[in-house]
Amino acid sequence: MKPLHIVLFVAAVVLAIVFLAFSPARMRAWQGRFFDVSTPAMQAGAAINDRISKLNKGLKSLDELEAENAALAAQNNELRASAQLLKDLADENRRLRDTLGYRERSAFDLVPAQIISRDASSWWSSAKINQGFAEKIDSSQPVLTADGLVGRTTTVAKDISMVMLLTDETCQVAARIEETNDQGILSGQRTAGDGMPVLVINFLKRNADIKPGMKVVTTGVSGGVFPAGIPLGTVREFRARELDGQAIIEPAADLSRLEDVFVVRGTK
Amino acid sequence: MIRALVLVLSAYAAVIVQEFLPGMPFFAGAHVLLLPVIVCYAVIRLPFPAALAFALYAGLLGDLSMLQVDGERVEIGLGWSMLYYVLLVGVLRLLPSIAPEPRWETHCLASGAATLFLLTGQYLMVCLRRESFFLSGAVFAQIIGPALAALLLAPLLYHFFGLFPDRGFRRRAHRVAR
Repeated sequence: MKPLHIVLFVAAVVLAIVFLAFSPARMRAWQGRFFDVSTPAMQAGAAINDRISKLNKGLKSLDELEAENAALAAQNNELRASAQLLKDLADENRRLRDTLGYRERSAFDLVPAQIISRDASSWWSSAKINQGFAEKIDSSQPVLTADGLVGRTTTVAKDISMVMLLTDETCQVAARIEETNDQGILSGQRTAGDGMPVLVINFLKRNADIKPGMKVVTTGVSGGVFPAGIPLGTVREFRARELDGQAIIEPAADLSRLEDVFVVRGTK
Repeated sequence: MIRALVLVLSAYAAVIVQEFLPGMPFFAGAHVLLLPVIVCYAVIRLPFPAALAFALYAGLLGDLSMLQVDGERVEIGLGWSMLYYVLLVGVLRLLPSIAPEPRWETHCLASGAATLFLLTGQYLMVCLRRESFFLSGAVFAQIIGPALAALLLAPLLYHFFGLFPDRGFRRRAHRVAR
């Protein structure tokens, strides 16, 4: 082993430790710069991903049509492909109209955004959206859909922001059961597995009269991130524990299939 | 030299691509991690100084893509992957009995082990920060799934990178070995 190699190895370890000593603000600034540099690559990746998923969707629908119209399938391939394309466009049109309608109805100042990717890491639940500080988005702003709360922004670059989803264990929200007014802290789970993600509310009253199907909304703590009254989900199960009660919640927004979201910049 | 350039570009592409790969349904939705496989290849094929530089570069990319900064809270800070990959260089290169010469089998085993230890280390750090520890089938699946995927992908990437010439580096690596 050459002494030079040992010196280089030690220097590399020291350099890594220098990065470890960065403050959170500096880490966020480095990550923001990385997102800025990577924006074209991420947008290209998102576009390719979108095309592949649309192609898959189209092929599945074509299979269903073939099953129903086996006799005519061979003669009508071209017509069916056109019909499928129009159906996809109509679906997209309806979805965009719905989201636009929500934006106009809402009491909040909303910025529409699209999910471009989901975090590849196993221990956090986050996603990236295609809007950033160019649209006056800041960190710790709520992100929601027409159905309910999705999460909040963390690192914000010019055209990309990271969103910590409600399913993350560290994304905690003050929650209230609408019918009973019981309050607790809602959070995700560390590893939810591959099924439908669920949320839990801890610190509820042990003897609370909470029933499956009851609606859960944000409490809106003063000075907090989330405004009051945003739907979070519905109660699936309530169990009394030794010291408190815990409710399992099905999220209002489908967090496993997010496409279009809104970032709340403030109230109108 | 061309191979080193391809590795640098591949590491960046891997960080972007792995975000778009779907989760593995049999492993609790765990994602395939391409970066550790590429780092292991660079560690065993590049000359020592270049391997160290690559480990720092890839670690920085990995950290920047996965970093979660929530206000003043950072669970796994910038620099941990850099440190991990540098230590990987140390283990694989400073202890020559582990990797006496570059072979696809060495790369394959190193990739699986590196991914396994990376995810295990991350999980332990997350548990430490959240002050609670539990093990479940989903946790095991999230660690073992990407490690198995790395084992399967490693030979493909080993032979893919072998398509690019690395004459300049190989001569220098041999000189260093002597």
